[in-house]
Amino acid sequence: MSSNHSAEEKRPVRHKLEGPQKAIVSFILSVLLTLIAFATVASGGINTDFIYIILIGCAILQVFVQMAVWMHMKDRGHAYATVAILFGVFIVFTCVIMAEYWAWW
Amino acid sequence: MSAHVEGQLPHEPEKATLEGRNKVLGFWLFLGGETVLFGTLFSAFLALRHQVLDGPPAHELFSLPLVAIATALLLTSSLTSVFATQALHRHDNKKLITWLIVTVLLGLGFLCLEIYEFYHYVKEGHGFTTSAFSSSFYTLVGFHGAHVALGIVWISLLIGQLAKKGLTVVTAPKAYVAGLYWHFIDVVWVFIFTVVYLMGKVV
Repeated sequence: MSSNHSAEEKRPVRHKLEGPQKAIVSFILSVLLTLIAFATVASGGINTDFIYIILIGCAILQVFVQMAVWMHMKDRGHAYATVAILFGVFIVFTCVIMAEYWAWW
Repeated sequence: MSAHVEGQLPHEPEKATLEGRNKVLGFWLFLGGETVLFGTLFSAFLALRHQVLDGPPAHELFSLPLVAIATALLLTSSLTSVFATQALHRHDNKKLITWLIVTVLLGLGFLCLEIYEFYHYVKEGHGFTTSAFSSSFYTLVGFHGAHVALGIVWISLLIGQLAKKGLTVVTAPKAYVAGLYWHFIDVVWVFIFTVVYLMGKVV
């Protein structure tokens, strides 16, 4: 009983609070990816398909970073959250492919 | 599992009760549904974005500096709502409220900019019924703006509740879930500025 009690007392110590470092690193990364996307469009000149690939790549990378760190999806206990979002992404992917490639055939 | 002293908040108070955990899980399912909602609006926009009829085309209409300012506002507000959630995890109600107020103010700035933008576009001859491009543009970007407006009202009411009732296992899940919502709004905006504005500027 007493050992159980001391184990419970120790519990809060084991919980580590997340500092602001990871959030700020994600923010800087997001800003950089945004700047790359804007600069690519502002400079122009490159092949259109290539620009699209850079833009979509930056957007997906930025969203991945934000969801993993800011929305805590990298943390434990987010399996259902991941399933919910991936299901949504699957439907979106299907709709977007249809709209981009089939709608005007 | 009372691993905490009486009268003191447990670690991660938003997940301390079954109701709190259910709220977070339910909110993730809601966000999955929101993903589908915005995805369908995006696909409609993608299919219709070149059908401009007599209205101005995207590359003449959009101005990158305006979009850059709006993006900066929303991205910063997403960071301040991270700080709000971290204050929640530190059981610091005062800081939580302060960061939420900053988030709401940045959101208001974004919303004002969007209202100005839409007003400007209508004057340029880009009304809701001008073309398939304009209709799908206003539906997609307007739906996002409506989400920002809803978030501002929601978080403002939440600030009032947190000030009145303090941080408890009842109010903590609400603040946590509002943070998730605000991040999701920013995530959608990343795709909007990419697909609508930046891809619209590429000729």
